[in-house]
Amino acid sequence: MPDRQPAIWVVAEQMPGRLAPVSLEILGQAGRLASEAGGREVAALLLGHGVGAFAEELLAFGADKVHLVEDPRLELYQNDTYGAVLSKLILRERPDVVLFGASAVGEELAPTVAARLDTGLGAHCTNLGMRPDGTLTMGVLGFGGRVHTEMFCPSMRPQMASVKPGMFQPPPRSETGGKIVREDGAVLLSDVEIRLRTVKVVREEPEGMPLEQAEVVVAGGWGVGGKENWRILTELARELSGAVGCTRPALDEGWTAGEHTMIGTSGKTVRPKVYIGVGISGSPHHTVGIKDAGVIISVNSDPRAPVFECSDYRVVADFRKILSPLLAEIRRAKGPIS
Amino acid sequence: MPELKFTQQQEMLRKAVREFVEKEVKPVARRIDTENHFPADLFRKMGQLGFVGVFVPQQYGGAGLGQTERAIILEELGRHAAGFAMALMTHHLGVEAILAYGTEEQKRKHLPDLATGKKISGLAVTEATGGSDVAGQLATAARENGDWVINGRKCFITNSSNAEINVITARTGEDAKGRPAFSAFIVESGMEGFSPGREEDKLGLRGSSTGDLLLNNCRVGDAYLLGGEGNGMRMALALFTKIGRTGMAAIGLGIIRACLEEGVKFAKERVLYGKPLSKLQAIQFEIAQIRIDYEAARLLTYHSIALREGGAGADAEIAAAKYYATEGAVRAAKRTMDLMGGYGVINEYPVGRYLRDALTTISCGGTSHIMQIIIAGQTLN
Amino acid sequence: MNIVVLVKPVPDPACYDRIEIDPATGVLERQGMPAVLNPADRHALEAALALSERFGGRVTMVSMAPDSAAETLMEGLAMGADEACILSDRIFAGSDSLATSRVLAAGIRKIGAFDLVLAGNESADGGTAHVPSQVGELLGVSHLANVTRLEVGADGRVEARTRIENGYIEVEGALPMVVGVKREINTPRYTSLMGVLAAQSKPVRVWGACDLGIDAACVGMEGSGMRPGRLTRPEYGRKGERIEGSPEEVSRRVVAILRAQGILG
Repeated sequence: MPDRQPAIWVVAEQMPGRLAPVSLEILGQAGRLASEAGGREVAALLLGHGVGAFAEELLAFGADKVHLVEDPRLELYQNDTYGAVLSKLILRERPDVVLFGASAVGEELAPTVAARLDTGLGAHCTNLGMRPDGTLTMGVLGFGGRVHTEMFCPSMRPQMASVKPGMFQPPPRSETGGKIVREDGAVLLSDVEIRLRTVKVVREEPEGMPLEQAEVVVAGGWGVGGKENWRILTELARELSGAVGCTRPALDEGWTAGEHTMIGTSGKTVRPKVYIGVGISGSPHHTVGIKDAGVIISVNSDPRAPVFECSDYRVVADFRKILSPLLAEIRRAKGPIS
Repeated sequence: MPELKFTQQQEMLRKAVREFVEKEVKPVARRIDTENHFPADLFRKMGQLGFVGVFVPQQYGGAGLGQTERAIILEELGRHAAGFAMALMTHHLGVEAILAYGTEEQKRKHLPDLATGKKISGLAVTEATGGSDVAGQLATAARENGDWVINGRKCFITNSSNAEINVITARTGEDAKGRPAFSAFIVESGMEGFSPGREEDKLGLRGSSTGDLLLNNCRVGDAYLLGGEGNGMRMALALFTKIGRTGMAAIGLGIIRACLEEGVKFAKERVLYGKPLSKLQAIQFEIAQIRIDYEAARLLTYHSIALREGGAGADAEIAAAKYYATEGAVRAAKRTMDLMGGYGVINEYPVGRYLRDALTTISCGGTSHIMQIIIAGQTLN
Repeated sequence: MNIVVLVKPVPDPACYDRIEIDPATGVLERQGMPAVLNPADRHALEAALALSERFGGRVTMVSMAPDSAAETLMEGLAMGADEACILSDRIFAGSDSLATSRVLAAGIRKIGAFDLVLAGNESADGGTAHVPSQVGELLGVSHLANVTRLEVGADGRVEARTRIENGYIEVEGALPMVVGVKREINTPRYTSLMGVLAAQSKPVRVWGACDLGIDAACVGMEGSGMRPGRLTRPEYGRKGERIEGSPEEVSRRVVAILRAQGILG
């Protein structure tokens, strides 16, 4: 077998209708790692049915090559078909590194493939690096974001990692060529025992602005104290045309719009221009999700709350005394008609 | 001598109760107090989890454990909702009356529903003539054609308006020395001639109804006589000690712990002169005093119960526990209120309720004066 | 129906603020931190108990943990599980998720025939969320992760809903299956007094590597593809200027900040 130039692979995710944003984010990282390693091929894998246009997109965002596998049985994701196809391709082409987005799908697909290939997998990585000897370093958070561990996979190959969505920016778009390799889906699936059947994929667009796109995020935590108090956060966000986020404790209490509004290690990463945190103590679980926000203003009655260590502005006060006057002042600032 | 140590099972029990109380009771604790609302749905849920019939034998639908486990439950419940705990405490008086003194038939008829929280009970001894003056009761029960006809008015009876099963004492004759003799009866709500009367508006321990019971020619058959004729006084006194005072001690302990936890939390969070309150010695002294009361009340409560469970009378020890835990709760609440400054008298914070609840515990199950009389009596004999 | 629930004792998440890293050795210090059942596992246990109430059968907890974990597993027995198996051996230490899955799969095989394996989707301390998928692969049965709804028919048909960003996937399959559940799938029952009493006499087995017939080379550090490197405490420091004054003064300052960021024009 001739020596292959070690490649960096990115498993792209397409949900009916579009490429998942995290796919572009990890494509950008693959490009960076490739140049850190002195030049490597970056290839994307795309599985589906009728998704040729996305393959072009992947080339435009930096892939040197796209392995496109199309088959009606791959139209909707399921771990047995996708797991089997990916494993076969990886065994055939032997890339050095394979990256997944740690989306819900990636969270299931990556370990499935890692088990089939008997290799290691870094989970929900928040940073990646490439050492000169070709070792991939994977930064992983544990204990609710309190501990950061640098992981690596010294001997098994490929080196695999799932990457937390929202940690990185997507790369710039450029038309620099590259080629699409059409794989034979029917052949790759021919001997696969398919035991699951995805019946349908349902999209539920949440009401209100998605957290990741909001310029202003108002987030509430345990200190808010109750569902009634939560209303003023919603009002504040609305006045500022922003979105409402929360921490895990507030979510668990049932005060919030749902898990899709949770910001943190196991939730969303947000990068608003302004973040206003209310009644949030600042556990690392949450603060990792806002570390790249523009300006962080925190309101908490406890002067020693850890959140103040990572805030630009601290308001040590009972939020119940601050938010109503703040709302009034904002309305005044917006003018008589608002 | 071995240290006071709970078994692994008791610790697991405490954890299970605490989880339930924090998730289900704590969020409605303020409402229970302000609206004087008895959370019957929570009582039923607790019944299903075995917390209500804790010391009732399994054959009658209970968990078959003892008074220590019962005290743990009352302490945990009292930590967040002392008024609700009071209702459970009182319910146990009726339960134990039937369990300890009932016939097999009476036990089988009443205990299962009481143990599982489907029905609530109470004990009615006190009258306008006095609570500690048990011999001064005026209620009577006269024999008539094989039945008993009960007349009288009971006061300050907890669970008065919602108890389905009431254990009522009344005078049924005289003993050999010509002194009044009393007997106990089971009277069910809805029986003709029996009704709850006026309900009191209590300062504290709200969430349990306390009021009058009216008996007007209430006729009951022999099957409703409890513990045999003439045993009413002996039964009542035993119930007050074994169930009443131990229960009040546990509730008082729960209130002290509430004050300690809220006081510590406030002291750490509140900043004055640029530092948390907890840095000031004056505040540290207050916290230390509450802690001392907590440790002492805890030991007195569980130790006195253990003595009684072991077969000793422990009247003085139990009275001491009731006295110390309830008076200690008043002290603790006042201290916590003081260290909280202005916030202590804002009703949004629970400490005002803790103080009102603590003050009200003094007169439940025998006042502090009565406790001292009991202790002195046993000490000087 | 024989159901296995994979559980993991973790340091109490309420105490994570106290976790320190020894600056000299770079080792995690978690002394004296009480252990609890991984919160997501209680939801898996609840799902198992509900199914066994419907179909009959046994619910067995399996955990790769030190044998002191018996105390934490009592919580699960008190909730209603029938027995617990602790897979404990010094050579398991340092296992990554795949090596852990090998140990768990061996434990499940030793217990015998199973219809369903349930697990909390991720653990509060490590949170890889790999185990349900990898145990499924190693056992050679179908598996699903991120499950928020699970319907099992008497004929063994499975209908599940798995959560994805902004939506969900409806999947069909059949037992035997390994399922990783999210917390939103149910509300775990409260532990009753009767459960606490019954827990005392339920069997707790402890199996080591020899009992499982597992090769040392495929577990522990030796059997793990992943190796941990340096541990650090992430710092996201910012300057933290304090805004003082009356609520009105604070509000005016915040509005000024919003203006400076281009919000409010």
